[in-house]
Amino acid sequence: MSASAHKIHAPAMRVEDARLVTGGGKFAADWNMRGQLHAQFVRSDRAHAEIVSVNAETARKHPGVKGIFTGADAVRVGYIKAPHSLAFAGINGMKARAPERPVLAHGKVRFVGEALALVVAESAAAAADAAELIEVEYRDLPAVVSPEGALANGAPQLHEGVVPGNLALETEAGDAAAVEAAFANAAHITRLKLEVTRVAPNPMEPRACLVKHDPADESYLFHVCTQGITTLRKQLSAYTAVPEDRIHFEVRDVGGGFGQRTPVYPEYCALMIAAKETGRPVRWVSTRSEGFVSDAHGRGNIIDGALALDRDARFLAMRLDWINDMGAYLSPASPGHIRNTTFCMTGVYRIPALYAHYRVPLTNTTPVSSYRGAGRPDIAYVVERLVSQAAAELDIDAAELRRRNFIPPEAFPYKTPTGSTYEYADLPGLLDKALRLADWKGFSKRRARSKKLGKLRGLGISTVIENTGAGQAAKDEVELELDARGTVIVYTVSKAQGHSHETTLAMIVADALGLPLERVEVRQCAPGKQQLQGNHTGGSRTTVGAGSVCHLAGLKLIEHGRSLAALDLGVEPSQVEYAAGVFHTEGSKRKIRLGDLAKKGAVSVVAEGKFGSTFPNGCHIVEVEIDPETGATEIATYSTVDDCGKVINHTVVEGQLHGGIAQGAGQVFGEHIIYDPDTGQMLTGSFMDYCMPRAGMLRGVNTEEHPTASKVSPLGVKGVGESGCTASLPAVANAVVDALRPLGAGHLDMPMTPAKLWHAVCAARKGGN
Amino acid sequence: MYALNYVKVNSLKEAAKMLASNPEAKLLAGGMTLVPTLKQRLAQPSHLVDIGGLPELRGITAKGGTLTIGAATKHHEVATSAVVKKAIPALAYLAGLIGDPQVRNLGTIGGSVANNDPASDYPAAVLGLGATVVTNKREIAADDYFQGLFATALEEGEIITRIVFPVPKRAAYAKFAHPASGYAMAGVFAAQTAGGTRVAVTGAGPGVFRWKAAEAALEKSPKAGAIDGVALDAGEMNEDIHATREYRANLVRVMAKRALAKLR
Repeated sequence: MSASAHKIHAPAMRVEDARLVTGGGKFAADWNMRGQLHAQFVRSDRAHAEIVSVNAETARKHPGVKGIFTGADAVRVGYIKAPHSLAFAGINGMKARAPERPVLAHGKVRFVGEALALVVAESAAAAADAAELIEVEYRDLPAVVSPEGALANGAPQLHEGVVPGNLALETEAGDAAAVEAAFANAAHITRLKLEVTRVAPNPMEPRACLVKHDPADESYLFHVCTQGITTLRKQLSAYTAVPEDRIHFEVRDVGGGFGQRTPVYPEYCALMIAAKETGRPVRWVSTRSEGFVSDAHGRGNIIDGALALDRDARFLAMRLDWINDMGAYLSPASPGHIRNTTFCMTGVYRIPALYAHYRVPLTNTTPVSSYRGAGRPDIAYVVERLVSQAAAELDIDAAELRRRNFIPPEAFPYKTPTGSTYEYADLPGLLDKALRLADWKGFSKRRARSKKLGKLRGLGISTVIENTGAGQAAKDEVELELDARGTVIVYTVSKAQGHSHETTLAMIVADALGLPLERVEVRQCAPGKQQLQGNHTGGSRTTVGAGSVCHLAGLKLIEHGRSLAALDLGVEPSQVEYAAGVFHTEGSKRKIRLGDLAKKGAVSVVAEGKFGSTFPNGCHIVEVEIDPETGATEIATYSTVDDCGKVINHTVVEGQLHGGIAQGAGQVFGEHIIYDPDTGQMLTGSFMDYCMPRAGMLRGVNTEEHPTASKVSPLGVKGVGESGCTASLPAVANAVVDALRPLGAGHLDMPMTPAKLWHAVCAARKGGN
Repeated sequence: MYALNYVKVNSLKEAAKMLASNPEAKLLAGGMTLVPTLKQRLAQPSHLVDIGGLPELRGITAKGGTLTIGAATKHHEVATSAVVKKAIPALAYLAGLIGDPQVRNLGTIGGSVANNDPASDYPAAVLGLGATVVTNKREIAADDYFQGLFATALEEGEIITRIVFPVPKRAAYAKFAHPASGYAMAGVFAAQTAGGTRVAVTGAGPGVFRWKAAEAALEKSPKAGAIDGVALDAGEMNEDIHATREYRANLVRVMAKRALAKLR
């Protein structure tokens, strides 16, 4: 990294900070167009019902109303086939059973909050008033919200004939026979049934979308929350059959995504119908209440797990039986969080035999999609809970059991039994550093001290690895445009939702070119540059992919500039040297600045790259203190050592870790979407009932880096966006379970709320332990 | 929100007149409960009569063994008032626990007491201290004022003007905040008053209530341990997705003991 880029970056301000903290951001709801109409969706207030009729006669006459659209319109224009990517094969060649999903529900509603009609009017108030005048007659059907219940015999069928038994896919990974053999010879088997609860990602910015249709070329312009235009464009096109080159975007800031802002939503396509048929731009801004029921949820997995160990407590085999709740329909991003649980199924351990079986049911609930980590935190949670549980059952130190079973450094690159190849991890080094940082050995003293104060202290650890980078796009492209002032504009189709791309990517380019940071400006998903290929921002992949290409683009600009400068200097390109924005050749005093090359017009280069997965890894150690009188838990200390490869910007990396850790801990302690089992109504549809983590939950994180450079990309980086969450989910849960273990309490499912912990304490004490 | 008329009145009299002539009108003070309700279209008043800025509803004074707080006084003002801190520090402490800084800088004591949310903090102090709710029509003793879930002794068109708190010997508040909403899962206000120790509970039941069995036990012994075996019917507590009745009953006892421990 050039000294210049770092010097200017220091201390902790990001390029985007001044704009964002002074209210200068422009988010999806901040866009307006002349002549725009305002949209209001009518949503199902029941979980499962036939739509007998939708009577919009009175609503149509309401002053200001310009159009009302229903499921019939969605079917008429053919917007009925929601894209999904549950494309991998199931057991016995089974293919995913993908139900149709008209962009406005037609015939049936299948979850509370499903949009079934759209009103557009001259004002938001008129649209809301008219929406209330629409009379929907339903014939109620029994609903099923529990994924296990949906698979049971006699369960209400969501999609008759299309998804028999509500089973969208049954699939597997690993070697069942090898696992069975290993279990037969095991000295010890640890079993846990675990739930990784359903949560609402809740980005700070509610969803919003403004669509304009241009009849001249049948194109659409979107202002919308997005994690990158390429994936959204592809999915919009798949849903509507509007060609990709007729879908354009203008987007600026995005207030959080966590995977939830990646996919196409039916609402966007319904707005396209309205924009085209009214001839007016149509603007929709979701309320938080709508967001709870209509934005994709995350996690929602139930896992029956078993880990087999030999006499020396070495892992022999692991068997996992998953039920992956998908909600009422397959979301466009639905496979990620299943697939990712196979990529890192073995965790950081040498487990010779692995087998996982998956059943993917549909339920009368909001569809589930990728959420920060998309399966990576889920599998880490399963493996790390099993390992800590095994350590407790065998009375072995939890760190020692991990160390004994680590994939040793000399075994890398390591091919896992489920087909991933881990590049490298220094697990013993990572663990040693973390144990020191957290003063692992001093825990018993601290536990005794807490006990004197009437508190239960617990120690939790996780050692995790996850696949990052890669991506579905054919390649990542970055364009650099040099102007006569010597400023370099970086164009990428990835999109930060709080990720600091404007800082990180600019630093990479500035470093490659030896320029100060202020000479580089990053523009994401810019109009006119939307033909560039690349992945959206998700799966911890932007620095690995687009970031690496930024580096290559910088080098390419130098090479291109060298030949231009050579012409000017009258020498061979090989005779031209470049440093810090200046070309020169030996024996001549003439200097050609970068900007000089662009005097007759901007100079542009496009670089590309396609990189595989990187495998960041880390060890998190948490201490919690529980008040047994109330069940309230406090995080006493949180220590992390992470290897995310070469670090571009330490503050940004720490910020990603902090956010991820808080998101994982928030799920452990409180976040949870709950449905009424009988009516299918959501019981946690506002922040009065849905427990978001507060800043005070995590008062400090002791962080150390343990970088080992990746060779997957020329930058040496690994992903980091999901690492914090992947590690914190199991580490925090392990700490809470450990705190109650001396009382005799066993496994607890998240959310580990004060009420649940108090009951666990009472039950354990009653049990005579 | 439904369309409505917003009226900023210049006097209490004008407010009362507005209410009298518009049966569907609603008073607006801080709006911390009303505005979210309106935004979700869960209420459709014809008028919002804004009394939040009326000078006659503001102010904090201590005189002759009482502390008087105007109805439109904001939580933040109570939490930081030197007068309150000197007279009834537990009340300032309680006000500082309400909501978040944004809420505390808009929400008012009169609004909270008029709304009587079963999990809000102020009712515990008003009942625990045996305060008097003064309206534009009369004075109502706290024991008569609170009538369960969102129900009060207020009549149509009646406007709270101030709350008069008798200054206790000592008082303390202990709250266990609801993990999602921040309201009280259980909040206990204990006060040593001229008439004995009063123990008022918010959050746990369908409305603020006095735990009279605990008060009786404290007559015999003022120590926190005195309430250890005192009856508390879990069946009277709320139960929902967040907590069982038993847990809430436990919290009441634990918070009561913590409040009582602070009295010493």
